[in-house]
Amino acid sequence: MFGTTPEERSAHSQDWENRATGVEFIRLAEEIDNVAKFTWNGEEASLTLRNSAALREFWSNFSGRVFYLDITGLGHHVWAPLLRAAGEVGGDIRVVYVEPTDYTQSAAPTEGEIFDLSEKITGIAPLPGFASFRIAPEDDFVLVALLGFEGTRFAYLLEMVQPPADHVIPLVGAPGFRPEYPFYAYHGNQSPLLDTRGWAAVKYVTANCPFQMFATLKEIEDSASAPIKIAPIGTKPHSLGAILYAISRQGDVELVYDHPVRTAKRTRGASRALIYHVSSLMVPSATVA
Amino acid sequence: MSSDVSNPQEELSTLFGSYKAEWLSERIFDLFTEPTYWPELMTQRPCILEGGRGTGKTTVLRLLAHEGQYALGGRQADTFDQKPFLGFYERIDTNRVRAFAGTEIPESMWIRIFGHYLNLRLVSAVLRFTTWYSSHLGRSELISDELCRSVAYSLNLDVSPNQYDLYKNVRNGLLKLEAEVNNVGEKVPSGLSLQKAPVDVLMEGLSESLPDKDFFFLFDEYENFSPYQQRVVNTFIKHSGTGYTFKVGVREFGLRTRETLNPAEQLTSPADYVKIRISEKFGSAEFADFAAQVCNSRLARLKISDPTAVLEINQILPGLSEEEEAHRLKVDEVLAEPLRRLQPNLTPAQWKAFRDAPALEQLLVIRWAEVHDEPVEKLVIEYLEGSPEWTNRINNYGYALLFTLQRGRGRGGIQKYYSGWDVFTSLAAGNIRYLLELVEQTLLLHLESGGRLAEPVDPSVQTRAAQQVGRKNLTELEGLSVHGARLTKLVLGLGRIFQLLALKPIGHTPEVNEFELIDSDNTSPDVIKDVAELLPFAVSQLALLRKAGTKVSNDPSDTRDFDYRLHPIFSPTFVFSHRQKRKMGISSAELLEVISSPQDAIPALLARRKRSVDEVLPEQLNFFEAYFGTRSQSADSE
Repeated sequence: MFGTTPEERSAHSQDWENRATGVEFIRLAEEIDNVAKFTWNGEEASLTLRNSAALREFWSNFSGRVFYLDITGLGHHVWAPLLRAAGEVGGDIRVVYVEPTDYTQSAAPTEGEIFDLSEKITGIAPLPGFASFRIAPEDDFVLVALLGFEGTRFAYLLEMVQPPADHVIPLVGAPGFRPEYPFYAYHGNQSPLLDTRGWAAVKYVTANCPFQMFATLKEIEDSASAPIKIAPIGTKPHSLGAILYAISRQGDVELVYDHPVRTAKRTRGASRALIYHVSSLMVPSATVA
Repeated sequence: MSSDVSNPQEELSTLFGSYKAEWLSERIFDLFTEPTYWPELMTQRPCILEGGRGTGKTTVLRLLAHEGQYALGGRQADTFDQKPFLGFYERIDTNRVRAFAGTEIPESMWIRIFGHYLNLRLVSAVLRFTTWYSSHLGRSELISDELCRSVAYSLNLDVSPNQYDLYKNVRNGLLKLEAEVNNVGEKVPSGLSLQKAPVDVLMEGLSESLPDKDFFFLFDEYENFSPYQQRVVNTFIKHSGTGYTFKVGVREFGLRTRETLNPAEQLTSPADYVKIRISEKFGSAEFADFAAQVCNSRLARLKISDPTAVLEINQILPGLSEEEEAHRLKVDEVLAEPLRRLQPNLTPAQWKAFRDAPALEQLLVIRWAEVHDEPVEKLVIEYLEGSPEWTNRINNYGYALLFTLQRGRGRGGIQKYYSGWDVFTSLAAGNIRYLLELVEQTLLLHLESGGRLAEPVDPSVQTRAAQQVGRKNLTELEGLSVHGARLTKLVLGLGRIFQLLALKPIGHTPEVNEFELIDSDNTSPDVIKDVAELLPFAVSQLALLRKAGTKVSNDPSDTRDFDYRLHPIFSPTFVFSHRQKRKMGISSAELLEVISSPQDAIPALLARRKRSVDEVLPEQLNFFEAYFGTRSQSADSE
């Protein structure tokens, strides 16, 4: 299952489709208002993303086969509910992600906006199927922010979520897709890191490793003095680790996402393709050894 | 560095740095200073407290809550019992309330579901209080078992024979609703309660237990509700039950609708609620008094052993007179050459009288002659004769000339001073968060420069701190709302324009830092709509301040009815006047061009006002060189 965007790296599934045999390719044709339309092999299905029974039923059509979910060209709000439903159906689930060669630098940058990644933020709202009413607004909590390059997004989250003082744990992708990327993350996020004193609590997680992210989130939650909220605004593999963790915790951690609108050509090129075997993490109380 | 405090930076940051109420936790209660509008909030009537970010809404709402009242009363049960009201604080969490939206079901159904959620939240808030009441005050439970059963029945929850079970079932009710909302595409949530009914039942029972109390539901960040949700809450407010009412904190423009669920009923002020606009309650003098109390109470907590230490904020932050500032900005160097040419053309008596005049006034006469191409000696004589015309010119242009002294290439350092308590309160423009930030940064920089906490801070240190605070808030603007990136570009564009206008005041309108929209009838409706949507965000996020303009239109929401002023917190960074003075006209299209293509739009806009962009950027803006397509002061002097 895959979707495409104007980014070069999201075209690889289409390349495979042209070359592969014995593989069924399910393409995201359109997505409007939480309804995603998929086409494959002359068939099509419109799936309401806040309908877990329908999502499970869809996956059941493919049971017994290895399932590859390519998240490179899909938005979080599409792949997250699909991944959870796939896990509920069971089977061999593998997530595919292709790193870009580089990100587009902004032609007229303001501070915090070095890379021209997002045109704007749509605003905080739950990912379909991931709304959580468990951590009440008046409760103490810890915000775990998975940082990307855009300090704007981190700052916006802080403004909206308002974590208590000294309750912010930023996670930086290091090692990064490229050696210099962790420095960009610090540079882009320096103002909110200073304001919250979050710089003192930074933890590093390999930028393309959802399993390390999963394990890190477990460590953080196990030692946290309060429930955690996770903001998956960094790399997609980091977000994958966060979503897998949220699925395993069955709603006891809250995801906070800002729904950016992506610029048409936010990245250049296609670098490493990664395949993550995630099935074993798709069960309640899963752990990473 | 020397100081009486063992770790002064940390202590300063603790007292002044946590300027967001939500970061203060329990200390918010200890550091509270009553604003002038405080008594108005304590009445039985619904109130809507409107103000920009950082104006203290969260602080006052949390102090109205029972935890705040308990802390204000010295955490004594007897004192708490005498309080005439009890408040239940609710912050509106966007990540929750935006779950109640989507095309899977019609809005009419969402209204019912959200009404049920609100019932659960409000009942939960009261139950938290009753639990707190028992544990903190050691009193018996406030709500009877019979009342618990009634509330549970009204909420469509499982039978709840006591307060513990009711609390547990309310939480379970929220979990059930969570699961149903997450699966709303499959099945519509069931077991909904009638909007407001369970709250009425509970509050009626609570009133019997605490007959002398009024009860306040305190909604903070009301702007996070969607329009239909505001209609639901407005209905609650319009029909507040016996003994309970609502106090709402909202940003400017955050009250998006005054409609209720009954199309025939609107929420109107003053019939249904008291509207408290913080900006109207705080005139400049009132704000300065309030801010001084806030700062002085925090300064008094600093552990300084020297009994002669200065701990009054207005003494710690001395200002400069215009003449003192002119000399610091090296007016004598600027005057030297013109005076050398002038001296032979004046009599010794005229020369002495002119040289005895304030330096800024001498400069004004000389510049006036240059710009208007008149003989300077003739103007000197007119000036010395004390003509009223010159008095007016001095009033209009004297201060404005300060912006021109450090102008030009190779002039590094401070271009204009922003110092003194009055100036700082003016920069904050009624925003206590900005003011605390200015004070904190100033004192930290003062310590870094080798100063002591107990002594006055040099104006140059104050100015550098003010520049840093302006720049920090400029960069933070981007993250404050979904329009953040455009607002940052708007401030960058307007700031640069006002900076360049300030450099050449003579022969033009001086101290321009405001604008009004002037559109022709041919302006595209899309352009007008875009600006009309953007400007309210700019005001609510403190990029701009606005006041009623001089134009009269029939549409009260017309963006063009107002004058807009770039927030003065940005003035030290860009170097334009922080004083509320004069405005320029700008079209909606020009405003959008300043955002979308500043490198073309700014020169074009200035050219129409007979100015150019041939001036370097102040060095504190050198990060934005590429953005403006120009060079900065520091780059120029390399």
